[in-house]
Amino acid sequence: MASVLDRTKAALDGFERQEIEINGINTVVYSAGSGEPLVYLHGSGTFAGFGFARHWVKTHRVILPYHPGFGESADDARIESINDHVLHYLDLFDALGLDQINLVGSSLGGWIASEIAIVQPARIARLVLVSPGGLVIKDVPSTDLFTVPPKDVSVYLVADPAVLAPFMPEGHDLDFMTLRYRETISSARLVWERPGNPKLDQWLHRISAPTLLLWGEGDRIKPFAQAETWLKLLPNAQLETMAGVGHLPLDEQPVAAAGIVSNFLNESPAAAKPAARITKKAS
Amino acid sequence: MPILPDTEFMAWHFMPYYDLPENIDDYESLWVDFPNKYFDPKKGHEYYERYLSELVLADKLGFDGVCINEHHNTPYSLMPVPSILAGALIPQTKGKICVMGTPAGLDHPHRLAESYAMLDVMSGGRMEFAFPLGTPMEYWSSNVNPVTARERQREALEVIMKMWTQEGPTSHSGRFYNYRYLNMWPRPYQQPHPPVYLVGSGSPGTIELAAEMGFGYSSTFSPITSQLAAQKTLKERAAHYGHTIRPSQVPIVCMCYIGDDDESALAEMEPHVRYFFTTLTRAGRFIDAPGYLSLEEFQKRNGRMLPSSHGGAFDWAQIRQQFRVVAGTAKTVADTIEKWAEEAQTSRIIFQIHRGNMPHWKVVRTITGLANEVIPMLKERRRLADAELSVAAE
Repeated sequence: MASVLDRTKAALDGFERQEIEINGINTVVYSAGSGEPLVYLHGSGTFAGFGFARHWVKTHRVILPYHPGFGESADDARIESINDHVLHYLDLFDALGLDQINLVGSSLGGWIASEIAIVQPARIARLVLVSPGGLVIKDVPSTDLFTVPPKDVSVYLVADPAVLAPFMPEGHDLDFMTLRYRETISSARLVWERPGNPKLDQWLHRISAPTLLLWGEGDRIKPFAQAETWLKLLPNAQLETMAGVGHLPLDEQPVAAAGIVSNFLNESPAAAKPAARITKKAS
Repeated sequence: MPILPDTEFMAWHFMPYYDLPENIDDYESLWVDFPNKYFDPKKGHEYYERYLSELVLADKLGFDGVCINEHHNTPYSLMPVPSILAGALIPQTKGKICVMGTPAGLDHPHRLAESYAMLDVMSGGRMEFAFPLGTPMEYWSSNVNPVTARERQREALEVIMKMWTQEGPTSHSGRFYNYRYLNMWPRPYQQPHPPVYLVGSGSPGTIELAAEMGFGYSSTFSPITSQLAAQKTLKERAAHYGHTIRPSQVPIVCMCYIGDDDESALAEMEPHVRYFFTTLTRAGRFIDAPGYLSLEEFQKRNGRMLPSSHGGAFDWAQIRQQFRVVAGTAKTVADTIEKWAEEAQTSRIIFQIHRGNMPHWKVVRTITGLANEVIPMLKERRRLADAELSVAAE
């Protein structure tokens, strides 16, 4: 029977699909293009596909892995913390022969990306965090998606629910429901007990790469005001905001959002700036 | 066939709070996030007094024991801490008390083992304990991750059984729990330990765990056919692990009401069962917790968390067909119980003596009818059958 997930898959037509065994986990990676590697880490739902990634293919070798327990990658109960995801990705990058990478992460993917950049700062050429999770900010709390009734989730995710409509099932779609159930389980492993890493603020100073924060001004999951805290904690970050956009800028305005990311990645490196900032911090 | 020898009869109370607002049907869920401003502590006090008195009456009239259970954040049940109710029942009763019970992984297992052992010592060995995994709603109401609930339950049960059966001090080193000194004071009165059951809705994982540990098993809200299948599987799997399941370990649960005649009894019972299924059990989206079902089970159920009996329109005929529901004269009830007990090969009958918003007088009438007529009738039929057998043998 046809599933709406066929549309999710179709979003990546033209990408090469690879299955790689990482420490016993069948990991699915899509890639296309050539140039410096750009790894994109997705959020906690993959049903909207990654159509926006096409815009990066002209300038980069775009690599789109599915996290364990999400999308087309296999489930593995051993992956139960952000640290497990971080180490899984370090294994995957090694397996793919990726030395230095540009790392882009959205929401949950932004949390994983920032934790990777904390552990191996030198590996990251440039870092892009799109409405990232992970940071627990008392004064600007995130919306716990588990408290949002399922029928309201779309309006929390995006400013205009029509954006997600093509990827929503029209009737009973067991494949779609199973994907959502799997991904909810995989997310719950990470965030049921606590909404993020309460110690992330303690370590973000280790990220040396030039960092772009991209945020929708209408984000109802990670309120836009959280960007201020990230900017304070990241040594070398800049902020781009998008009006009329919610939690998923890349899905909501793919051309504009992917364009902002491209512009940032294609800037020439700001010489010695990271080092200068770190020295200043250390003194 | 008459009931099995030594069949025991228990009275189970759900203790709901049913003074609910007029617009109760506007609420999608009466669980987890149903506003607790609707709980009036003065009324709550009256409920406890009344419900405890009903269980005490059952004990006084000759039931073999009483059962209580645990739920959270809901007017469905006023029993978030059933051990407290057991403590209150101990000095007022003589029979067994079954706490059916705290999900082992929702409490600290060492504290649960201690509470239960205290109750067993205080009651002089009258306690029985049933461990549920807990409904998905209990996980929304706690900080325990539903994704790992089953593994946690298994390990918590290991800790509890270790504390009950091994000489202390001992220790435990596991994935969820680590204890340097397990050394309980007091130890349980019953040796090696009080009777233990698992209760559930027929999930294969729970049945397998009960089989492995040699525990009894019972499922409440699954259709009779799947209950029977579950208990059959339990016996087979238990044998595989070297355990023999006794008839007392596979209890059946019956919703029961006694009236003047079958027709009026059914009519008198119906509104309360209706209230139970359409109002009190309504849990909206909280019936689904991440990972509560395995992915295989989720797909097997076609993406639906609950069987079709839940959440749909109330169908009295279907409910009576699916579950063990009986209303009528003492004879009708006795005949029906006899048939169910035979079919399940059980020597343990649990009566749900109160349902939904059933008033006190109806509960008293049912308890009295069961204790004074139904249970003696069932025992007498057994006695007569035995007498005939011994005559035939002479």
